[in-house]
Amino acid sequence: MLLAFGVYALARCLILGLNQTNMDNRFAFGLWIFLDLTVIALGAGAFFTGFLLYILRRHELKSVINSAVVIGFICYSGAILLLMVDVGQPLRAWFTFWYPNVHSMLTEVTFCITCYLMVLAIEYVPVILKNRKLRYIPSFLCFEFELHKLMYVLAGVGTFLSFFHQGSLGGLYGVMQARPFAYREGFFIWPSTFFLFIASAMAAGPSFLVLTTMLVEKISGKRLVEHSVLSLLGKISGMILIVYVFLKSLDTMVWINHTSPSAGVEAYRYYQWQPFGSWILFAEIVLFGLAPALILMNKSKREDMRWLVSAAALVCSGIALNRFVLTIQTLSLPSLPFDPFLSYSPSWQESAAFLAVVAYGVLIYSFSYRYLPLFPQERDLEASHVSH
Amino acid sequence: MFPTNFGFTWTPGVMFFLGAFYTVLLVVLTTVSMSFYRAWQSKRTANVDSLRWKEEFHDLPKYDRHCRHEFTGEFRERVCENTFDCRSCQMHGTVVALRTDTADIGEEQYGMSIPADRLYHRGHTWVRTEGRGEYTIGLDDLGTRMIGKADSMALPEVGSKLTANGPGWWATRSGIDVRVLAPMDGVVTAVGTAADDWVLKIRNEHADLRHLLEPREAGPWILREMERLQLAMTEDGMAASLADGGVPSEDLPKSCPKANWPSVWGQMFLES
Amino acid sequence: MSAVKQGKSRYGMVIDLDLCTGCGACMVSCASENNVPPAQKGTTERTGLTWMRVAKAENGLPFPESRGVFFPVLCQQCGTHTPCVAVCPQQAVDVDPETGVVGQMAERCLGCRYCMVACPYHARYFNWNDPVWPAGMEKTLNPAVATRMRGVVEKCNFCHGRLQAAKAKAAAEGRRDLHPGEYVPACVEACPAGAMVFGDLNERTSDVAQAAADPQAFRLLEKLGTGTKVYYKSRHDWVRRMGRDGKEA
Repeated sequence: MLLAFGVYALARCLILGLNQTNMDNRFAFGLWIFLDLTVIALGAGAFFTGFLLYILRRHELKSVINSAVVIGFICYSGAILLLMVDVGQPLRAWFTFWYPNVHSMLTEVTFCITCYLMVLAIEYVPVILKNRKLRYIPSFLCFEFELHKLMYVLAGVGTFLSFFHQGSLGGLYGVMQARPFAYREGFFIWPSTFFLFIASAMAAGPSFLVLTTMLVEKISGKRLVEHSVLSLLGKISGMILIVYVFLKSLDTMVWINHTSPSAGVEAYRYYQWQPFGSWILFAEIVLFGLAPALILMNKSKREDMRWLVSAAALVCSGIALNRFVLTIQTLSLPSLPFDPFLSYSPSWQESAAFLAVVAYGVLIYSFSYRYLPLFPQERDLEASHVSH
Repeated sequence: MFPTNFGFTWTPGVMFFLGAFYTVLLVVLTTVSMSFYRAWQSKRTANVDSLRWKEEFHDLPKYDRHCRHEFTGEFRERVCENTFDCRSCQMHGTVVALRTDTADIGEEQYGMSIPADRLYHRGHTWVRTEGRGEYTIGLDDLGTRMIGKADSMALPEVGSKLTANGPGWWATRSGIDVRVLAPMDGVVTAVGTAADDWVLKIRNEHADLRHLLEPREAGPWILREMERLQLAMTEDGMAASLADGGVPSEDLPKSCPKANWPSVWGQMFLES
Repeated sequence: MSAVKQGKSRYGMVIDLDLCTGCGACMVSCASENNVPPAQKGTTERTGLTWMRVAKAENGLPFPESRGVFFPVLCQQCGTHTPCVAVCPQQAVDVDPETGVVGQMAERCLGCRYCMVACPYHARYFNWNDPVWPAGMEKTLNPAVATRMRGVVEKCNFCHGRLQAAKAKAAAEGRRDLHPGEYVPACVEACPAGAMVFGDLNERTSDVAQAAADPQAFRLLEKLGTGTKVYYKSRHDWVRRMGRDGKEA
């Protein structure tokens, strides 16, 4: 139902034009871009779990890799779907490939995400081919078997691509010299936001996996993954988050004391506009960054599922907040001296379109859950659960 | 994108960027093509059924993979590391050589009929040696009770090749297909009817049956299987219907319709 | 005066804010020259197409010290680290090396709006609607300028059609160079107060180059280092400070 309504909203945008949204010339990026960035960051669990499993050989993660790949596939395909509606002329999307501008971060994003979606689709295929009925077709079986042997190549490629596109998504904002709120100094050709986005995506990915797995466990009423694996994911998330919080604090200090003033704006001035007071910076770094990191680094808290889930939720919200700040807050702040502070709220078409994507995601996931072996540990856990 | 495009310039940035992109594409395409090629090769040359079994075995939960020597008390606890193929297992060879017990046991153990003239496969089939390379295959007592009165059976054709631990035949019950594993390698020479108590007749001049359970091993194994069955049926909240020491009914799906039979069959017939 | 013209011009503009009355004639002439479609129902001031846009600024002081000024804002034709050129994923914008004009190719634009986010002057406008001219109004269309379709970004290009026309006229007369004043954008031509001066900034003796060198001239948000070619001029300190540094008075 939700899907149908959302598809209707999407169709309206495609047919009638983007005037259906509440975006305007000042808020050229709106809800969709912010959500695209967030879901791509959350979908980072796919590449990172793949990297940990196939390259670093953390074999415990075998029980979540299938679910991670499906989630990643959903996140990326959903983001691209939404992007195609967001853009004014979706049929011209191939122009970026034909006339790429190598100086633009957006070109990098386009190339990388397209390649990565391809890789994810290829990684999803073995999961599909493990379906009970499809398994008996000899060519499918052999193909799945051989592809699985080479999975580490794909995992490596996926990691390489993810590194770049997660970073470039950050770079989108960091390179904007003309928007001192977003602009950051960099290392070589990449602004600091490039590296910060990669780190935050690596932290968000495992947390999101924890959240989705617990949600599916709750809905299905079955134990699907050994909780020690989830705790491991939480620990990894926590470790990276600590590094991220440290780097981000460093970056913020540099920005406040050097980068922003040299563009002519003292940093405190950004936070004079309500509702985006300085609490937002504090919330992003401390409340949604440091706090869950400390929780996740604490072993006893990590093993308590309630703490783990709460911390994971905080991490994911923090990532969302970070994307929000760079998208919406950047645009609402005045640039020219006679600009007012602007506000924006999404139209129903925008929200409905996003919810359509969520519904699409849920559909694919439940389809996979029903017909494909997403959780190999499921039977083991059931048996041990019932017999004790 | 290509040097022939209008406006293309050979700057280092362009070369690096497009170079990286083309390299990635190449790597991905190569990987997929290699998989295709190897798959095509292995389909032609390798035994697909044994490949499939190896994959399925690894997807089985640990609980379903215990070694046969655990049932006989020869090991306290051991998980099979050889995809149930005792023919190539070193441990099996060593243990069997150390066996001394040759006592006879009866035809019935723990309430199940376990005739002594045949060998048993963990997928609930039995093999009887007829001599001169001929063998008969059937479904064991517990297997028959678990499927009950099948709606139909999809049996392999005469002349088709079977692989040990590969698919043997399919029985359909209430619209669900249950896959029964073939217990040994061989060529099908005859197919049983509903009236026969056997299912297939096989010919194999050089059969190796070491992976099959002897009747005295089959007893403890059946006991364990009944425990597993009870567990499988209890999973979905259905109360335990097999009292300890009691005998499962002749047609379990009929007497316990509420259990999640596809799941139970999957577990008991070793389908992941 | 250089005897040999390099062939590279840098067209720029100086707008005298003390003369600007805020009448908006520049806005109207721009729209009419460049085939900007009329605003449709539901268009707000934030979704309209106004390549030239007059904004009002005030010094923030209470009466009787309150003062106001009108800033006609158009594409500033950034020459250094042009933000929109750097970020366009398919190179649909570029800085013309011959004229310094930042040109937008509507046919290549994907409508991703990254350039709009990057532009600090808010000089880029997106076609949120399909362009519709009411019956009869199509007669006002300028045949020298292409219309744009829905879903692409557009902006001021210093009336490129007029440059082409001027060059064609000069070529017909056997000249390679344009006389000063032969090529002026519509806004400059229309301004009743004569507040706008246009020309080649590279031409040191031109009016515009001399006006730009005036100590009272400034550029918007100069600290961003965008190297814009649109200068503003005011004898009022607060106006200069506001425009250059982006600070309110």
